Amino acid sequence: MAERSLKPSWLRWVWRVAALKNGFKDATAYRIEFLFEVLGAAVVPAAIQWVLWYALFKVGGMNEVAGMTYTDMVQYTLVSLLFSQVRGGDHDFELSELIRSGQLSNYLLRPVGVVEFIYIRGVAPKLFIASICLVIGMVLGLFFGFDPMRMFGAMIMALVGNIIHYQIGAALASTGFYWEEAYSVLMVKNMIVSLLSGELIPLNIFPESLQWIWKSTPFYLYVFGPVQYALGRWTHAEFFMQMGIASLWLVAGWLLVKISWGLGMRRYLSLGG
Amino acid sequence: MAKMSRYIDSLKVQIKNNFVREAVYRSNFITMVAVDLVWMAVEFSLFSVIYSNTPVLAGWTKHQVFFFLGVFFASDALFTTFFQRNFWQFSDLVNKGELDILLTKPVHPLFLALTRWFNLTAWFNVVLGVGVMIRFAPQAGFAGGWKWLLLVFWLLVGVFSAVQIRFAFSIWAFWTERSWAMSRLYYQFFAFATKPDSLYPAMIRYSLMTAIPFAFIGSVPARALLHGLEPREYLQITLVLIAFMVFNTFFWRRGLRRYQSASS
Repeated sequence: MAERSLKPSWLRWVWRVAALKNGFKDATAYRIEFLFEVLGAAVVPAAIQWVLWYALFKVGGMNEVAGMTYTDMVQYTLVSLLFSQVRGGDHDFELSELIRSGQLSNYLLRPVGVVEFIYIRGVAPKLFIASICLVIGMVLGLFFGFDPMRMFGAMIMALVGNIIHYQIGAALASTGFYWEEAYSVLMVKNMIVSLLSGELIPLNIFPESLQWIWKSTPFYLYVFGPVQYALGRWTHAEFFMQMGIASLWLVAGWLLVKISWGLGMRRYLSLGG
Repeated sequence: MAKMSRYIDSLKVQIKNNFVREAVYRSNFITMVAVDLVWMAVEFSLFSVIYSNTPVLAGWTKHQVFFFLGVFFASDALFTTFFQRNFWQFSDLVNKGELDILLTKPVHPLFLALTRWFNLTAWFNVVLGVGVMIRFAPQAGFAGGWKWLLLVFWLLVGVFSAVQIRFAFSIWAFWTERSWAMSRLYYQFFAFATKPDSLYPAMIRYSLMTAIPFAFIGSVPARALLHGLEPREYLQITLVLIAFMVFNTFFWRRGLRRYQSASS
């Protein structure tokens, strides 16, 4: 910490901007692959969701599930696409790999802390995708009667969710200081998130007795929350209350990262040249 | 005969090497099992939530879907055990010129390319998948008895299909600088395999039974075990798999002709 305080703050900002540029260039160096990844990650989960609704409503002949009609479900699926592209990222895996391989040493003397540096670099393509999704969402909103400002607020919530997701990932990645298999811990986290973020199904179709499960994690703020607000199913007051909850999760996440990395760095041995 | 024993000997050496490697990383076993258990739990939870709103989904009851999940997990775990790592390495094999070594060996290079790496810890998940099937078989309406023998056949069909599809996604390594995007695409499409094919609308279902036959991995085997298939479907499965073999063999040969060793 003492070392970091010697670095002038302007240098740290230059580093942050450079990391952001670097991350964006890195992710889009192979444009076709970048496009494939974005499209694949968007289209397939949406198609699978739609298939479930099709089976429930069109084949099964149901009219309503948890108060939602077929149109509501399809609307949810389409709008959730915009936010599920923003959530997550693989940069927490990069952290665990740095610890495992010992390359973490290369990052310790940089003007920006390693956890922050990896995040900034990793979030760059997500910001790009978020801005595209926001424009798409706002334009579609004009046609389908959604409030564009709601879309903007929802995207802010999704981005806050992205930070919380990374904080949890970074804290879990610090298990790499103790155990070589942090990768699996992160995989487990991602699987749980895929269900509890609302990316696979709207969370309000959970049975009443199980709703507490998703409500007690921050994961619903990644996709489900933004969709609810964008579609007007949350009032402004509810949105601001949820943003308040998100802020608390941010603080908790920050503390978690501080503690877990502080403890982990005490154990870290940088061997070799 | 001598040729056959050469292949068997080669396979024995590969298994031995892989066993030694896995014995070194014992904690890997625990984490792999944990990851797959959570994956199973997520899939079960997803269907449990959906079935809390309806008793039947496109003709499948909850227990039938759970039985299908058992077949799917076992089939996928078999693929993971014997082939998955080899496909992850396939791009490097071609783009970094590592295929050179395999081309000089006295066995078919494709045989070596697909059997170099095993993931023996994934075998436990085969057992888990079968356990799930046994658990839900009575409620799903599976007749059991001698029909369990059919399971072996259908699991082999599932694994063979997965190998053919994955190969069709990997072979482009000969033409692209790095083929991980195709691998990612495979896993994106693979998500279609995690649901029974009867759920899908006609067009998607047709694709999953022909052009991208992910339904052969778990869904069709589960359906065959639970309800039996129509003769037309047996013919379709056979023709599609033969078509994939022809396609893969053709592009493998074309790829080898294009391959330029380490500088490829």
